[in-house]
Amino acid sequence: MSDSWTALYAAYSIVWLGVFAYLSYLFLRQRRISKDISSLKEEVARRVKPGN
Amino acid sequence: MKRLGLVLTLVSAILIMATTYLAIFYAPLPGTSVKSIDEVLPSIEGTTVKVSGFVTNFTVHLPDALDVPTRYTFSLADFEDYARYLAATEAGNLSEQWWTIRPIDVGYSMGGWLPSGLNFTIHDCSNISVTADVVLRVIGPNSAVTGCSLAIVENVEIGPQGGFSTMTAPIAQKIFYFHMPSAWVSYVAFFLTLVGSVLYLRSRNARYDRLAMASAELGVLFATIAIATGPIWAKEEWGVYWRWDDTKLVTTFVMWLVYVGYLSLRAAISEPGTRNRVSAVYGIVGFVTMPMSLLSSRIAPLLRSSHPEVIASSSGSLSAEAGIAVGVAVVAFTVLFAAMLIKRVEVAEAEDELEELKREIGGE
Repeated sequence: MSDSWTALYAAYSIVWLGVFAYLSYLFLRQRRISKDISSLKEEVARRVKPGN
Repeated sequence: MKRLGLVLTLVSAILIMATTYLAIFYAPLPGTSVKSIDEVLPSIEGTTVKVSGFVTNFTVHLPDALDVPTRYTFSLADFEDYARYLAATEAGNLSEQWWTIRPIDVGYSMGGWLPSGLNFTIHDCSNISVTADVVLRVIGPNSAVTGCSLAIVENVEIGPQGGFSTMTAPIAQKIFYFHMPSAWVSYVAFFLTLVGSVLYLRSRNARYDRLAMASAELGVLFATIAIATGPIWAKEEWGVYWRWDDTKLVTTFVMWLVYVGYLSLRAAISEPGTRNRVSAVYGIVGFVTMPMSLLSSRIAPLLRSSHPEVIASSSGSLSAEAGIAVGVAVVAFTVLFAAMLIKRVEVAEAEDELEELKREIGGE
């Protein structure tokens, strides 16, 4: 029976880790993209400024 | 939309915690009304479970150190019956025949490759491990078969004159409460990929492409969870992690591969218009694998599948408590999926915006 409990915990861990890992990936990716977007927007604004 | 996503995430987290509690402490062990194996053991010690049938590939494991005296007797049926069974299997009319079991007492003998009827005198279940491929017919009262039989009979095929199906790993069966909802959500996700793909091809609106992509990615995530947790349960239940002769397992694996291919295809094409168009067509064609997986054990009953049906027949075997746990689990995973989908679409919008900005700068 103890093996079954190990299997159960292993399976539940996969579920929780899978979900949390993916959510973490999404939030980190969004943060990085937001940063890239704002720096690119600054770049665009700088380029379109009169005199540049 | 952002706030809705956060609320859904929170709700799904609470529901998943509730599912965990219900699965472990509330849902009874399969085929019984008890919620813990500890409740079963005292009541079945000393009982005799009678089962008739043929057993192949039969092994018994006796631990070195038992804390209580344990004794077993086995009655093995005549070899002739097994020869008839093999002949019937070969002729394809297994369901039209039955056999007379002529038991031969062999005392403590075990192992080997023998046809048999079994009489187990059970003094303690906790340390016994028996694996067998069996065609079974229950002779004894059903009450005697509950509980301990969960731990001693594996790989059951239903015999031609009735019989029973049971879970050999009642604790590991609780994996079901996460395994099935994960698979369910992956089916929903792949359906949304189909919807998004069709709408994209009709309207060329990038928003539908984002929906298709986000759904496919989440579908792959949840299908991966289902495919990873299934074998852990299968190892406990069937004795093997995977069966390539099982239609359900193979069709689900093919479905997973197809959608991994979908994501790879998207990653391989850089031009947005081409990428969206090609992946939309792929998303529509690839969807054929979803019903194949979902309905494989129902529409192909003649093919071999030990996997339980996803859509239960009218006489579902779940108890009321187990049904509640499954219901909560399905709602929890569906809400979680919705929350993650909103987030993924949000990220995809940001990705598109970034791509657009890069093109803008690059094109100057």
